[in-house]
Amino acid sequence: MRSTLINKRLAVLAGALALAGLCLSVVLAHAEPEKKAEQKPAPKKLTGAELYAINCNRCHPERYATEFTAAQWQTIMTHMRVRANLPPAQAREILKFLKEDAGS
Amino acid sequence: MISGITAAACVLGMALTPRAAAMISDEDFNALKSAVTNQDQRIGQLEKLHEQDQQTHQQDQQTIQQLQQRLGETQTLATNAAEKADAAALAQATPPRSALHNVSMVGDAEVQFGQAKGQNSGLVLADFAPIFLYRANDNILFEAGFDVMLQNGSASGTNAVTLAPYTHDAGSSTTVSLSFAQLDYLLNDYVTVVAGYMLLPLGTYSERGAGWLNKIPDDPLPVDFLPGAGAGVQLRGAMPVGVSGQMLTYSVYGVNGPSSVDGSANATTLDGNGNSIPNLDLGGNVGLLNSGNNANLNNKPSGGGRIGWFYPWQAHYDVELGVSGQSGTWAGNYLWSALVVDAAVHISPYVEVKGEYINTWQQTADVGNIQPSGWWVQGSYKLAGLNLDAPVVNDLEMVGRYDTANDAQGSTTDRYTAGLVYYLTNTLLLEGDYEWLINHGLNANGLPSSQFIVQLSYGF
Repeated sequence: MRSTLINKRLAVLAGALALAGLCLSVVLAHAEPEKKAEQKPAPKKLTGAELYAINCNRCHPERYATEFTAAQWQTIMTHMRVRANLPPAQAREILKFLKEDAGS
Repeated sequence: MISGITAAACVLGMALTPRAAAMISDEDFNALKSAVTNQDQRIGQLEKLHEQDQQTHQQDQQTIQQLQQRLGETQTLATNAAEKADAAALAQATPPRSALHNVSMVGDAEVQFGQAKGQNSGLVLADFAPIFLYRANDNILFEAGFDVMLQNGSASGTNAVTLAPYTHDAGSSTTVSLSFAQLDYLLNDYVTVVAGYMLLPLGTYSERGAGWLNKIPDDPLPVDFLPGAGAGVQLRGAMPVGVSGQMLTYSVYGVNGPSSVDGSANATTLDGNGNSIPNLDLGGNVGLLNSGNNANLNNKPSGGGRIGWFYPWQAHYDVELGVSGQSGTWAGNYLWSALVVDAAVHISPYVEVKGEYINTWQQTADVGNIQPSGWWVQGSYKLAGLNLDAPVVNDLEMVGRYDTANDAQGSTTDRYTAGLVYYLTNTLLLEGDYEWLINHGLNANGLPSSQFIVQLSYGF
């Protein structure tokens, strides 16, 4: 009885792993390949929108700029700069990006 | 007399009439008549012309009125434009100043419906966790987070019929606990000073595992071996590497540290019901004793920190690695230490894999050194990555987790979780998961063998 239960759960785990592998393969197939540039372009400074996508979306779903006022965004970004340990220059760029479309 | 006058008048009239008839001939009369006729016609024409002139005059009057109205509007516009230009010039000369102070509230709330095997299903207000943010200026922030929960109370007594003693859930109580309360001072671009009751950077789960951020309603098992918060002071910061978003982060802190439930250095103790419980207290020793004095329950404070490396090769494609630890005494001179290795990978906006390995060491007086440890790994995939262009599917995310915990006192628990998240909005999540638990060893630690949980989670 116990071995049957274990076998059942192993089967479920195997199925979950297989599904995860399938999903990963789908993702990798859709993933854009790295640009094989013969000459690497000089790295450009990231915009506030890019920094937002890089830093913020890795922990939580996107928060829209219109959800808060400019003053609230300043407070929230101070909190996030501490919580997520963001470099201040990046935090300032993200704040500037959010303030541009902040609610009123 | 009257007859005479009448006769005289007749004679006079007869005398004059031939004279008048003699003065106007037919030709003259016709000429006069023609002249009068011509005059009549001329008068008629003049009257028509006059009438036309009248109409033209009226039209001119209307046009004049319209022009006057437009002139008035133009003057108004010119006046407004001038005022705006003055205001703009004034604003440029003295730019508006934002208020320095701001109070905001963020946080999350969760409502759950679940059933554990062998128990009745039930609805529960799982958590209401507001975070208050008070910004004093650009460099100072005070933030505090609370957890408000509703829980059954407890009643004990004697059964009136059987006379058997009982202890049973009865009534309810509202629990308000302080998750953290810390003062953040942005000293410079590389150092932020944090002081108070702080979330500790042991791994990343405690700082990033808020209700609506966690895609599975409950916490990984081995995080129970770590203190989530501690009273102390911390320095933290980040250093960018290049301009591509890569960065190194650090945190170093000192806290009062863990303590002992019963004051001894034994591994376990007994609770009020005679049940054996771990003697290590990870959530106390906040500095204020029951006596009212400020003191650490240990001989020495604990210290810890985390170093992290974050590398994004493009947006939504990144890896983060971190190593963190804490060490200090927990009872007398007996040491307690922890080591956590954390990792997270994002491959496209759709795939996330993250996890932690947690190992702790505890010196005890009765059983020597014990090492409660465990690890967890969680993967998720947003179905929007399938590009099916289906509205419901695009808002779904599959999530799975494996976690295991060995309490080093004879019990190991393995858990497999499979779940689904539906994003009703960007911050309103409907999560559902099914969990299978396998308990090995002496202590079953009270967890059911399986359960399902449905949670509505809102981040605000």
